Amino acid sequence: MRYLSWAYLLALFAFILLPVVTLVIFSFQDGRLPVPPFKGATLDWYREILTDRALMEALANSLIVALLSALVALTLGFLAASGLARVALPGSVVMRGLLIAPMTVSYLIIALGLLQMFNKVGIRPSLLATGIGHVVINLPLCFAILYAAIGEHQKSALKAARDLGAKEWQVLWFVAAPMLTPALAAAFFLAFTFSWDEFIIAFLLTRFDVTLPVEIWSMLRSGLSPATNAVGSLVFLVSVIVVVALELTLFRKGSK
Amino acid sequence: MTADVHIKAVEHRFKAFTALHRVDLQIGAGEFIVLLGPSGCGKTTLLSIIGGFLTPSEGQVLIGGRDMTHVAPKDRPTTTMFQDYALFPHMSLRDNVGFGLRMRGVGRAARNAKALEMLEMVGLADKAGRRPHELSGGQRQRVALARALAVEPDVLLLDEPLGALDLKLRRQMQEELKAIQRRVGTTFVHVTHDQEEAMAIADRIVVMNHGRVEHCGSPEEVYLRPRTMFSADFMGETNRVPVTPSGGGVSSPLGPLAIAPAEGMLCLRPENIGLAEGFSLGRATLVEAAFYGSYHRCHFRPLAAPDMLLTAHLPQGAHPGLGDEVELFGRNPAVLASEAA
Repeated sequence: MRYLSWAYLLALFAFILLPVVTLVIFSFQDGRLPVPPFKGATLDWYREILTDRALMEALANSLIVALLSALVALTLGFLAASGLARVALPGSVVMRGLLIAPMTVSYLIIALGLLQMFNKVGIRPSLLATGIGHVVINLPLCFAILYAAIGEHQKSALKAARDLGAKEWQVLWFVAAPMLTPALAAAFFLAFTFSWDEFIIAFLLTRFDVTLPVEIWSMLRSGLSPATNAVGSLVFLVSVIVVVALELTLFRKGSK
Repeated sequence: MTADVHIKAVEHRFKAFTALHRVDLQIGAGEFIVLLGPSGCGKTTLLSIIGGFLTPSEGQVLIGGRDMTHVAPKDRPTTTMFQDYALFPHMSLRDNVGFGLRMRGVGRAARNAKALEMLEMVGLADKAGRRPHELSGGQRQRVALARALAVEPDVLLLDEPLGALDLKLRRQMQEELKAIQRRVGTTFVHVTHDQEEAMAIADRIVVMNHGRVEHCGSPEEVYLRPRTMFSADFMGETNRVPVTPSGGGVSSPLGPLAIAPAEGMLCLRPENIGLAEGFSLGRATLVEAAFYGSYHRCHFRPLAAPDMLLTAHLPQGAHPGLGDEVELFGRNPAVLASEAA
C-alpha cells in the first residue's frame, strides 16, 4: 500500500508538471523545432526573445497592466468589504451577491460585454481597456477574500478606533489595513497572477499595444519554435516567483 | 475630565423587540455606576446608546448638559472599554494607548509621554514596546483601560470588561478599577451581570430587567432594601414569607411576627436569620447543614409551617445538631408588595 501511494503521488506530480518541464527543457533546444529528440542545450532562444523589441514591450505592458489592475481591484475590494462588514444595510446580502457574481461569468462573456460597452462610450481597445477588464474580473475575488477575513475581532477593533476619535479614512488606514495585511497580500498576488496570465479579455480589448499572452499567441500563429518555449518559461518563472512570495508572506503569518 | 450623564425617556426598539422602555437615569459627575441585570435586560443597549453606537428610537442623552443623542462616538467625550479588549494587534502597547491622542493630532513625543504615564498607572510601563499578543488576559485588560483613559474622557463606558477573567483575577481587577476611578475622577458606567462585582465596585447600582430600571441605589440600599421582588432575588438569595398586617405587627404562616404592619412578601437574606437578636421567627428544626468556609448554610423547617424551608447562614462553629429544635430570629426585614414573579 505504501509503495502504491508513493507511486500515485509521483504519477500525479508527473501529470501536473510534465507539460511545464517539457516546455522548459525544449526552450534550450539547439535546433529549429521544440520536439524530441533533444539535440543539445543553447541559450540562443533566450537571447533572441530578450532582444525582441515587440516581445519585451508586451512583457512590460503585461507587468504594468497586472500591477495597476491588481492595485485598483484590491483598493475597491477593500473598501467594499470593510463597508459591508461595518453596517447591515437593507439588501446587503443582495449587494454581496452582486459583487461576487462576475466570478461566475466566463471571461469571454465579460470581454464581449466590455467590448460593446467600450465601443458605445468611445474607449478604444487599448491597455487601459484591458486593465479595466482585469479589474472587473479581479474585484469579486479581492472582495470575497477580504470580506471573509474581517471577523468579529477585526470589527470590534475598528469600533474601538472610531470610539477613540479616528475618522473613517484613519480607521481604514491605521487599523483595518494593517490588521488585514495577510488577506490583502493574498488578494493582491492572486489578482496580479490572474491578470498576468489572462488572454481572452486582453485579446479582445487590445489592438496595437498588446500584453504578453496576446504576443505569444501571435508568435504561435507563425508556427512552433523553441523561442515560444523560452517565453513560456519566463512567464512561468514570474508566476513561480509570485507564488513563492505569497507563501512567504501568508504562511509565515499563519504559522505564528 | 468628568461629566454628568442624563438619560431622558430613552426608548429603543430593534424591529419588533423593545430593548428599553422609557428609561430615565441621572448619573452624577465622577460617579461609579454599575448597570446590572440578566442577559437581555437592556443594559448593554443602554451603554451603546451612551457611547453613541446606537441612536435611541426616542428620548435624549445629555452628557455634561449637552445633547449628544445624534453625535457620533468619535465626537463624544466618552470612550469604551470593550469586552474582548479590542486592542490593535499590530501596534505596541505604547501605540495602542497613544492611538486616541494621535487621532486628536497630538505630536509623537507628547503622546508617548502620556501613553507611558497611563501604562505606569496600570503597572505595565516596562512592557510599553511589547505587542498585545505577548500579554496575559488581565494585562490586555489593563492596556484597554489605559487606552480608553489616555484621551481623558468625561465618561468611561465599560462593557462587561471582566467577563473573560478568572475569579481571582476578576476580584483583583475590580479593586484596581475602583482605585483608578477614584484617582482619575472620571464618570464610570460599568455593565455586568455579576451582582457581587456590582456591589464591590459601584457607588450606585442600577438593576435592570426587561428593558426597565427596577431599582437604582447604593449597594446597601439595593441589597438590604430592595424595591422589587426581581431586584431582591437578583441581588442574592432570599427567604420569602407572605405577611398581612394584624394588630401592631403582621401575621404569617410562621405565626405573628413583631415587625411594622405591612401587606406583601417578607424578604430575609440568609445571613439575616440567626439564633439570637432581632424579632422571633418561631421555633424550627434543622434539617440540613453544610460548611461553606466562612459560614454554615443551614436549612430549617419551621414548626408552624412544616412545608416551608428557611435558609440561614450561621457563623462558623455555631450551628445546632441535625434535628435539633431552636428558636430563629430575623433582622433587616424588607416587605415588598407581592407580584406575579
